[in-house]
Amino acid sequence: MNSIANRFATTGPIRELKKAQTRVEDDEFSDSVWGSEAGFGSLAKGVPNFTVPSVPDPSSFLRLHTDDFADPNCRIKIQHGTTTLAFRFQGGVIVAVDSRATAGSYVASGTVKKVIEINPYLLGTMAGGAADCQYWETYLGIHCRLHELRNRERISVSAASKYLSNLVYSYKGMGLSMGTMICGWDKTGPAVFYVDSDGTRLKGDMFSVGSGSTFAYGVLDQGYRWDLTDEEAQELGRRSIYAAGHRDAFSGNTCNLYHVKEDGWKFIGNYDISKLHYDGPGETPGAGYGYDIRIERTAAPRPIAVQA
Amino acid sequence: MSRRYDSRTTIFSPEGRLYQIEYAMEAISHAGTVLGVLAKDGVVLAAEKKVTGKLLDLSGAKEGGYGGSGEKIFLLNSNVIGGVAGLTADANSLINYARSAAQQHLLQYNEDIPVELLAQRLCDMKQGYTQYGGLRPFGVSLLYAGYDQQHQFQLYHSDPSGNYSGWKATCIGANNGTAQSLLKQEYKDDIEVKAAISLVLKTMSKTMDSTTLGSEKLEFAVITLDPETNLPKAKIYKPDEIDELLQAEGLSKKEDDNAMKS
Amino acid sequence: METSFALTGKGYVIVASDTTAARSIVKMKTDEDKIKVVSPHLLMSYSGEPGDTIQFAEYVERNLRLFHIRNNYSLRPSAAASWIRRSLAQSLRSRKPYSVNLMLGGYDVTIDSPHLYWIDYLGTMTEVPFGAHGYGSYFALSLLDRYVLSYISSKANTHFFLFTYRYHDPEATLQEGLATLKRCIDEVAKRLVVSPGKYKVKVVDKDGAREIEL
Repeated sequence: MNSIANRFATTGPIRELKKAQTRVEDDEFSDSVWGSEAGFGSLAKGVPNFTVPSVPDPSSFLRLHTDDFADPNCRIKIQHGTTTLAFRFQGGVIVAVDSRATAGSYVASGTVKKVIEINPYLLGTMAGGAADCQYWETYLGIHCRLHELRNRERISVSAASKYLSNLVYSYKGMGLSMGTMICGWDKTGPAVFYVDSDGTRLKGDMFSVGSGSTFAYGVLDQGYRWDLTDEEAQELGRRSIYAAGHRDAFSGNTCNLYHVKEDGWKFIGNYDISKLHYDGPGETPGAGYGYDIRIERTAAPRPIAVQA
Repeated sequence: MSRRYDSRTTIFSPEGRLYQIEYAMEAISHAGTVLGVLAKDGVVLAAEKKVTGKLLDLSGAKEGGYGGSGEKIFLLNSNVIGGVAGLTADANSLINYARSAAQQHLLQYNEDIPVELLAQRLCDMKQGYTQYGGLRPFGVSLLYAGYDQQHQFQLYHSDPSGNYSGWKATCIGANNGTAQSLLKQEYKDDIEVKAAISLVLKTMSKTMDSTTLGSEKLEFAVITLDPETNLPKAKIYKPDEIDELLQAEGLSKKEDDNAMKS
Repeated sequence: METSFALTGKGYVIVASDTTAARSIVKMKTDEDKIKVVSPHLLMSYSGEPGDTIQFAEYVERNLRLFHIRNNYSLRPSAAASWIRRSLAQSLRSRKPYSVNLMLGGYDVTIDSPHLYWIDYLGTMTEVPFGAHGYGSYFALSLLDRYVLSYISSKANTHFFLFTYRYHDPEATLQEGLATLKRCIDEVAKRLVVSPGKYKVKVVDKDGAREIEL
């Protein structure tokens, strides 16, 4: 009798013990992360779970504390200004991003890494909430590795992006803010998928995300061809980010450039956008993308890498 | 020794048998016969009533309702009739379930439930009772006679284990062996409803214990297509309609029999 | 602006949908397929809230497939439509409803006839001879309606000039149907401020579903 009473009691020492036990078990990662569940991992549970604020209505709680919905004085600032781009071409995938983080009109940082290196074959870009992108794309990295261990082959870009899109879809309306490109090389060749926190997932040749994306598209669309050489493609990525950095107040500082090939991604370089403006990617004063043109000085002879 | 495996449905005997299921089937083979014949343009069902007697109040079956005395043959949905053999109380519960399942399908898909799907739904339930601890299986076999657009007219049989199968003509209950061998001889593939009715009644009259047929011992139903609407039309005969039919088939009891009884 | 049309004809249903995927003012993609072949004789075009659309379409696709595997036959268009409508209606009263509008075109092989259903995110369903969703519907529906007007007028024996125009005809051949569809697309291209560029067109008839180049 006593044991039954204890089991259903909401107070008392046994209940406290039970609570403590569940707290210990409620770790950050579910069982699936550790590879139990008979090797099926997350398959058995479908979309993985993540704890939400323990309030009756998590989404309105989040809305109250983020600047997503018109309250500039709230505590959590979400980074909105960004330019990121990725495109597919004959030689692989080019990923280029800026490095500015803004909070309102304040430039919070000029050295943000907006390309997330998920694993040696997959890159993710960051636009929207920096923390959301960082956390979930790292989390995606865990599951890509687990997929590799369980299935003895690398996860396809399509599957990885679908995993992410299903995951963020399960948090739809709860304040996640992400606009990302999942880029990589798999059995099908180079691949780029656009995934955002609405749950949209698009396969495509070319995407650009962020407040500066329209400026980037302007350059990108003019210079893009499938049979671009590696150098031309890298130049196109760089030039597009420069254009966005130049025109968009919320983008700028530096450009990070990556190139994904069959044997994985390679970091090409970090370019100061001001330097690109005056001197171009090389160390040639006067060969800049913008300065000489704008002050109508005849530019020093410079090979034009990108042709429409 | 075998007592150890008798009392629970969930336990296999060392020979790999489930006694309770077998006992349930045995119980059915003593129940009133139900006989079904699938024809080109319909399905015919007949059943032998066991609960009879002079004092039994049968007025309910005579007027109102959709026909039938509520013992053997039931309307499961507008396109399916069911005939039951076994424990009547168990059968009532299954029929209730079948009717709900049919309505649920109608609600979800806005169409009459396909006959096989209905049989499957019941069998899923019956199967469950052969496995979960402490539960007794349903002591009921059913015949389902019905129509759907996918497979037109169909006749199914399901037993207490949850097995089901489709038939051209079959029989459950007492003397089902004799009836089945009779049906095997007489059945023709292109049989029509009219001939099927005669076949059913003839076979019934040969297998039933009583020498003569009458509405107080017989339930009868036919499902056909309404020529006007082209929709299935289930008809469960009322007692006087059964007597009329028997008379037409020349199988009714003699007038003097009646006189002697009364 | 997302637009989809569908119309029936003699023994077929045509379903057409624009192919743009937009986010705010930017077209992210211009060749996105927004018509799913959800079962051998059933087409479904979907539009609405990004994310919800594809999730719901895949949910439907997989459930219909599951039904086929379990029962060895596919749901008829009317049954599938009822099930889909019910799913949306149930979702509407849930914590997070699907905001998806659908056109469901199918061919019922058991009775050899085409069927078209117009379904919205509130769970409204109606069987129609033709239909449209999105801004395009404001132009296309009136265009297609003219047939119905002429049909009624001819029945009432009052022949006024509309009678000569027959834009939607449930007895039309596939060629005629596609020509009517082309009229709708051209009208939207002509009058809608931000008209979608390309369309994807699919047809379902007794032989199943297939894509058609307009």
